[in-house]
Parts: sequence; C-alpha cells; structure tokens
Amino acid sequence: MTATAAGLSATAPAIELEGLVHVYPEGTRALAGVSLRVTAGEAVAIVGQNGSGKSTLVRHLNGLLRPTQGVVRVGGRDTAGVRVARLAALVGLAFQDPDRQIFAGRVRAEVAFGPRNLGVRGAALDGAVADALAAVGLGEAADANPYDLGYSRRKLLAIASVLAMRTPIVILDEPTTGQDLRGVALVREIVAGLVAERRTVLAVSHDMRFVAETFGRVVVMREGRIVFDGTPAQVFAAAAWPVLASTWLEPPLAARVGARLGLGSTPTEAALVEALVAHG
Amino acid sequence: MLELRGATYRYAGYARPVLHEVDLALRDGEIVGLVGGTESGKSTICLVASGLAPLSIGGELRGEVRIDGEPTAGLAVHELAQRVVIGFQNPATQRSGIAATVFEEVALGPMNLGLPVVETLARARRALATLRIEHLADRDPARLSGGQGQLVAIASLLAMGARHVLLDEPTAQLDPEGSNLVGAALRDLAATGAALLVAEQRTDLLDGLCDRVVVVDGGRIVLDGPAAATLEDPRLEDWGVEPPSRVRLARALAARRLPGLAELGWPA
Amino acid sequence: MAGGYLVPLALIAIVLGCAAVAGVLRRLVRISFLLTLPIGISVVLVSALTRPGETVLLVLGPFDVTLEGIDFAGQTLVRLFAISTAIGLFTLATDPRAFVFDLERRGLSPRFAFVAAATIEAVPAMAARASVIAAAQRSRGLDTEGSLRARLRGVLPIVGPVLLSSLAEVEERSLALEVRGFGRPGRRRLLWWPPDRPVERLARWLLVVALAGLVVVRLLGAWPPIP
Repeated sequence: MTATAAGLSATAPAIELEGLVHVYPEGTRALAGVSLRVTAGEAVAIVGQNGSGKSTLVRHLNGLLRPTQGVVRVGGRDTAGVRVARLAALVGLAFQDPDRQIFAGRVRAEVAFGPRNLGVRGAALDGAVADALAAVGLGEAADANPYDLGYSRRKLLAIASVLAMRTPIVILDEPTTGQDLRGVALVREIVAGLVAERRTVLAVSHDMRFVAETFGRVVVMREGRIVFDGTPAQVFAAAAWPVLASTWLEPPLAARVGARLGLGSTPTEAALVEALVAHG
Repeated sequence: MLELRGATYRYAGYARPVLHEVDLALRDGEIVGLVGGTESGKSTICLVASGLAPLSIGGELRGEVRIDGEPTAGLAVHELAQRVVIGFQNPATQRSGIAATVFEEVALGPMNLGLPVVETLARARRALATLRIEHLADRDPARLSGGQGQLVAIASLLAMGARHVLLDEPTAQLDPEGSNLVGAALRDLAATGAALLVAEQRTDLLDGLCDRVVVVDGGRIVLDGPAAATLEDPRLEDWGVEPPSRVRLARALAARRLPGLAELGWPA
Repeated sequence: MAGGYLVPLALIAIVLGCAAVAGVLRRLVRISFLLTLPIGISVVLVSALTRPGETVLLVLGPFDVTLEGIDFAGQTLVRLFAISTAIGLFTLATDPRAFVFDLERRGLSPRFAFVAAATIEAVPAMAARASVIAAAQRSRGLDTEGSLRARLRGVLPIVGPVLLSSLAEVEERSLALEVRGFGRPGRRRLLWWPPDRPVERLARWLLVVALAGLVVVRLLGAWPPIP
C-alpha cells in the first residue's frame, strides 16, 4: 500500500512531533517536550534506558496515548480525535511481548486478525497473511498452534501480524530481545525489506550492535527528552560517548576499537575493517 | 558436584524426547556457560538438572541426575531445593507477591524450610550481602527495576542454601543496565564457591566469566570445553549461537588479512 | 416503626466512624454504594410496590404503594447498608499479609495462608496485564471505542490472551515457588506476625459476648422483629 493510497500526504513528513509532553495520571512526566521529524521511507532506531520515554513516545504514534501538550502528526494529519482503530491502518505497532497479544489457535488466524480488522477479505487477506509469514520465516508453520512455537518464533509471529496490515509506518518494540542468531538476522532482513518498499520503520531497541548495523538514523532519549539524533557514525563516535554513558548505553565493540586506534567513527565491524584497510 | 548421566527427557504430552543422552558435570566453584539456539534444549537441561523435570512438571526421564554422588530421584522438591536451585528469565514470575519488603522476600525461602528465626535472618542477610543489595532491603519488591528484581530473585534462591545454582537466561528480559547488574552479581556469586550454570544467548556476558562453556544443539551436547576455546569455535553460528563480539571482530579482521586485535593493541 | 431504623443507623454510624479513624472513609462509602445499590434498588422496588398494607399512598397501575411497604423497603435498605459497610470496612482496613500471617500463627496451614495472600495479589496483576493486551489488540485495529457490537466482538481478543498468558505464567510461577520451599508440608517459624494487644483481645471477647447475647435475646422474643 503506497503512502498516498493509505491516506498519507505524499509531501508531509511521515511522522511529526512538536513539543510533545506526556504526564501519566500518577504524575510521572514521561515526555518533557519532544520534537521529532521523520520523513517517509526512513529507518530510525530509538534508544535509551527503560524510563527514558521511548515506549511512551511510540505509543503516541498510533493514538494509544494522547499528548498532555504538543502535537502529533502522522502523514501530515493531526492524530487528535482520530480513533486508535483508524490510526492502525497507518501505523502498525508490534509489541515487545508476543504473549500479550496472541489469542488465536492457529498461526494463520493470528496473522489474519490485523488485516481483517482493517476490512481486508478473501484473496487479498490470504495474500497478505502468506506474504507476512514468508517474511518472518514461518511459512511452513501456518497451521501450527502459536504456543507450540518457541518464544523467539512467537516474537516473529507478532511482527508478522503487524506486517500483514501493510501499514506505511511500522514500529517494532524491542524486536531482538529473546531472539537467537537466526531470529536477529531475520529481523534485520525484515527492516531492510520494509525500507526497500519505501515504508517508514521505527524500532525501539537496547541492542546497540543491531541498531548500528540496521538503521541509518539513531535517536537517543534520556529522561523524556531527545539528547542525540544522528547517524550511527555520529552517535557512536567518541565525542558522543559521554552522552551515551549518561544513558547506560555502551557503543558497539567496533566503535570502541576504532576510537582507541584513532580511526574515527567506526560503528560497525564493516566500517572498522574498511577504516583499517584504508589506514594501510 | 552435580552430574547428568545419559539424560534423555521427554515432556509430558509430547511424542519425542527433547534431550538425548546428555552428560554434563558441574563441579563446586565452577562457572559453566550453556549456549545454544532457541529450542535447542538449554532450558530443558536446566529443568532436568534442577530435578523439577520430571518431579514437578511430569514427563519421562531416562538416565540419571546425581548430586555429590547421590541420585536425586526420590527426593522431595524442598529437599532438592537445598541442593540445587534454578532461576528463570522473568523477575516478575519469581516474586512471591506476599512479601512487603525485599528482606522478607529473600527470607521466605528459609522460613518455608521451617528453620529457626535466627537462622532465617542470618541466611537472608548473607544472601543480600553476597549480591551487594543490602541497600534494597526495605524496598517493595514489586517496584524494582528489572535488573534489581532479578538480583532479588537470585538472592532468594541463595538463601535456600543450595550449592548448585542454575540460571536460565537471567538477562534475557533486561535492559543494558539490568544486564550489567546481573553480570556483576554472577561474579560475586562465583566467588562464594557455589557451582554455577548459566544458560545465555548473550555470549558477551559469558566471555570472561565462565571457566567452561557447553554448546547444545538439537537436545545433544555438541561441544564441552574451556570457555575461550569453545567460544572461538567456528561452528558456533551453525548451531545458532552468536559468538562474542571480540571473536566476531577478530574473524572479520582476519578475513581481510588485517592484524588481530591483540596486535593492534586492544585492550591496551 | 422508627425503632426499626435506630439500630442499623447506629451501626452504620459506628462503622463510618471507625472508617474515618482508619482513613478509608471515602473508599468505604464508594464501595458500599457499589455493593448495595444493585440489590438495594430491586428490593426497594419490590417491597414498595407489592407489600400489603393499610395506608395507600398512591396507585401505579396494578400496584398499591403503601406506607408500610415503603417503611419496610427503607428498613431493609438500611440493614443492607449496615451489612455492606461492615464488610467493606473489614476488607479495606485489614492488611492482607498481617491477616494471613496471624491466621497462620493460630494454626492455619502455611499453604492455605499463601494461597489466600497470593489471590489478593492476583487481581491487580491481571488488570495490568489486561490493559497491555488491550493496547496490543487495539494497535491491530480492534475497535474498543466504537459501537457496542464492536466492543463485544473485542472481548475474546482481550480475554483470550489474558487467560492464556496467565496460565502459561502459572507453570513458571509455581516452579519458582516450589524451588523456594512453598510446597513443604509442616509448620514454619514465622519471622513476623501482627502483635495482639490487650485492647484488641478485650474487644474480641466483648464482640463474642454481645453476639451470644443478641442471639439469646432474639430467641426469647424480647426484641421486636421487623413488622
């Protein structure tokens, strides 16, 4: 589904936050004024400690949370007053814990739930489900019971459930925690696939290596604010380490080695290798 | 020492066994890492070694589990728990929910064993001190961070007095701060002389901590050896295990015939 | 007639007074209304409309609303409130852990004590879980803000995972408990239980004596029953 077909403006940024403040009913100020702009087709990682506000932020994008102050715009349109079920056609949010959403007895039915809610039926529905299952490597498990799959594959199932909705914006909440080697590789492929389809991808993650190797833009949050916003090379460069340290995040090993050897910013292994080769 | 001998285990209601002829030894004072892809059998090995499989969850076990030479078959769960304890991934499910403070939570175990009050208090204090969380003693266990919660869970297990501690992916659900907390705690634990088995996906955590590493694949032990050598084995990825960062980086450098990390002066 | 109200109202006043001292007055009033009104309204309607009596106040179709009927309804309502406020005060003012440990020290099996206390914890845990699940399902297009039919259709996708994930968690939770000796038969040496003060012991004896006295007085017919 192209951005315009889904109702997103072709020219406005996919996501726009202006001065977003969110105070929870018990008084916690989870977001203290966040402004962010994401253009269509970008892949952005949002990193930070638990409590930094990253989960609160993404829940504003599909209307689960409403701003205490500030504006949230998706595809150029204000989300205020738009129901979550309607925003779900534009923004797909895959939650961290698959067991907090799986309810169907068959994998296939579980994946069909989302698109069905959006009014997709018949051959189009079957196609969406089949494509999503193939993307996460669960094509052969379509008739299995979700709870017969291990945790790692249930997480992939949760992601498939959102992929099947073919939303122009896809948000993944901690997609790699609990995943083994193959699972992480699959997630990386999924993100690459979404970017190739010019869909906007956001991921909330703790895994700095995954972030450095998969995303072109990293937003660092601490205590309800954005404290850094740049490419992996910028974010993991030595100059940024004091900022990172204050958020308990550690740059990937490749970045640390590169900095120690005076090779500039090398956020990934590939970058470090290239820098060494260039260095001679 | 805790030993598995030829352990073959089938879960209740499943047609085929998940573990096949597993031999594993855990000696006093040793830290052993257990790695493998998801559904490789890591958790099952922990459950069998703890005795909970088949004692609590049913299923069929062939082969033997022995602690200090004695078979564990025939022991009641609470007797077993004084020899071997197991910790899980989720700190929330390990909370009893009936303790108002962390101290009470940790003291519940020895209290359940019917120990005299003096002994219960002593064990609770010792457990908190070992993991350096005395400062959390008066906190509400339900309001801790993930990492703190996991430390409280481990302290609660320590208070049972078992000398064999099995941890099934203790950092899987934690953020980086929590993982660091638990990693440091594992070192403190090892220093007490307990035998420690840690199942983990995060090989970086095990690198530098473990004496030995055991690799599981398809319910069988495929490799069992000194930590450094095992974690550098090129077959790890075939078994679904991510090698530690330094190993991967070393391989990437070697592939381009660049000098190794040590030659480059890392770590200085 | 007025006598039938005096005792329940006095009881309610005493309970509310205790509640004020315990700091739970507002919650108690809210809970009592929630507990009593559903039954109360139906009892009042039935009594007021159908109770036979002499003084007819007004006629509503086939029903004669009599003064005696309204009086009966009133007295019943007031008694219902007396009961609900008393029960409400007990649940609000008692610390469940203190209660359970006290029972245990008086001989209740520790396993029973554990189940009782854990049950109290289970409700807020389930409520929290349900809200996370609802959020996930809404993000997949489940409409919980729309028509009633839509909301009803939304029940299974929320209730299902709540139950399933609670069950899946139960096994791990019970294993974790067993490892800490919760299944061990036999007594345990409690670290702490609520102290029993002489005042409280006296109060308990007085209550028992008063209860016995009331029963005797009723049986001897010395107290007017509700007309």
